[in-house]
Amino acid sequence: MSVSRDDFSIAFRSALLQRGGAQKFSVLSLIFLALIIFFLDVYGVKFTKPIRSFINDVVYRVTFLASAPTRFFPQASEDISSFFNVREENKKLRAEIEKYKSLELNVEFLTDENKNLQKILETEYFNKNLSNIVLAKVLVDKNSPFLKSIIINKGTRNGILKGMPVTKDNYLVGRVVETNYLSSRVLLLNDLNSRIPVTLDESAQAILSGSGKNNPILEYLPEDYEIIEDINVFASGKDGIFMPGTPIGKTNEVGEIELFVDPNQLSFVTVNLNTKKGNL
Amino acid sequence: MAKRSFISKLYNAGPLLLLYYLCISEVDSNLEKIFDIFTLNFQIIIIYFWVIKRPEIMANGHVFLAGLVNDVVMGFPLGISSLSYLIIIFFGTYVRNKSVNTTIASDWFTFFMAMIFSNLLFFSLLNNFSDLSFSYSKIGYNIFFTLFMFPIFWVIFNFYQMTFVGNRDA
Repeated sequence: MSVSRDDFSIAFRSALLQRGGAQKFSVLSLIFLALIIFFLDVYGVKFTKPIRSFINDVVYRVTFLASAPTRFFPQASEDISSFFNVREENKKLRAEIEKYKSLELNVEFLTDENKNLQKILETEYFNKNLSNIVLAKVLVDKNSPFLKSIIINKGTRNGILKGMPVTKDNYLVGRVVETNYLSSRVLLLNDLNSRIPVTLDESAQAILSGSGKNNPILEYLPEDYEIIEDINVFASGKDGIFMPGTPIGKTNEVGEIELFVDPNQLSFVTVNLNTKKGNL
Repeated sequence: MAKRSFISKLYNAGPLLLLYYLCISEVDSNLEKIFDIFTLNFQIIIIYFWVIKRPEIMANGHVFLAGLVNDVVMGFPLGISSLSYLIIIFFGTYVRNKSVNTTIASDWFTFFMAMIFSNLLFFSLLNNFSDLSFSYSKIGYNIFFTLFMFPIFWVIFNFYQMTFVGNRDA
């Protein structure tokens, strides 16, 4: 019995403290080091913030470079297949142009009408100040089962702050949750940690919650409210962060929200700097 | 002779390079886009296998560093992945010290224990010291598929070891 206990303690101690050969550090010393780093990072000691920010910037750039081959091959195969389909695509595009030409007149009319209505409502027209919109490239889009986020190539140097809304083609995709000097992390709407106040078509209010899957869900809907298919969902702007009326998605047959922008297909996004800084 | 030594060093560094590449690049082992619930923690399979078979290939310091890189890329608090990887190393080294020879079945069982403790530490730290929330069902799927895929990667890595690195089992 005592022999087996000795065996256990020898093997246990050896596993924790063993060094030599290729092992320059013992597991125990590295565990202590990892714990120190972890608590320094979690409790946000002042001097760790710029260090973490610097490390983030460097690692994100390296990640972007390291991921280049994985981005190149799908793109190359796509380019080759589109090269062979160019004639057919041309035909399709011509038909689409005709279609859009006829729609253009309609859009012009609706835009004028919309501007007039905005003036009447005395609300801020959201494209009023285009200089306050920053275009950013997606550096890293690593799919994690626990965190749905992307890294963009603009940071505090470009005036980006925590909490700022991020859009693509004027559709909301998420908000900034971490800023570094040259890069930022954007939490996508489908992340489990994402919660934003929204308005539905019939002016009902709700909270859009990320589910960790592709489609977020609606919470805190009015009592007896029945979700039907094809209801448009917009940011309500009640939090003072998101621009009121920013389109997000529409409901599907199971009551989830199908986002207008696929969160897995982002390559360029825009960050709106017009947010009230006090709210962030 | 020098060329052969270089190639041998390259083969030996293969698992570590793969670990670093998985941590730093966009490449991920989560096939959620294809199969909704399929998520896999490939890093811990690599670490455990090579710690059991050839610990000199999987140096502690490198695994620690890979963990830090993984935290930065994934947006976790710094050090948390390193801790979870070090727990895997600790279990692997302990099993290696205690056993004379290992089989795929024994490695599979001990890997399960190592993974449970490693994930327990990872998620309890994440739950108590960060604002991140996570889905327990996703954790369950992740553990299940990582465990399920272990024997497949065991065979692949074993083949790599036999062919390119050389066997040094006790």
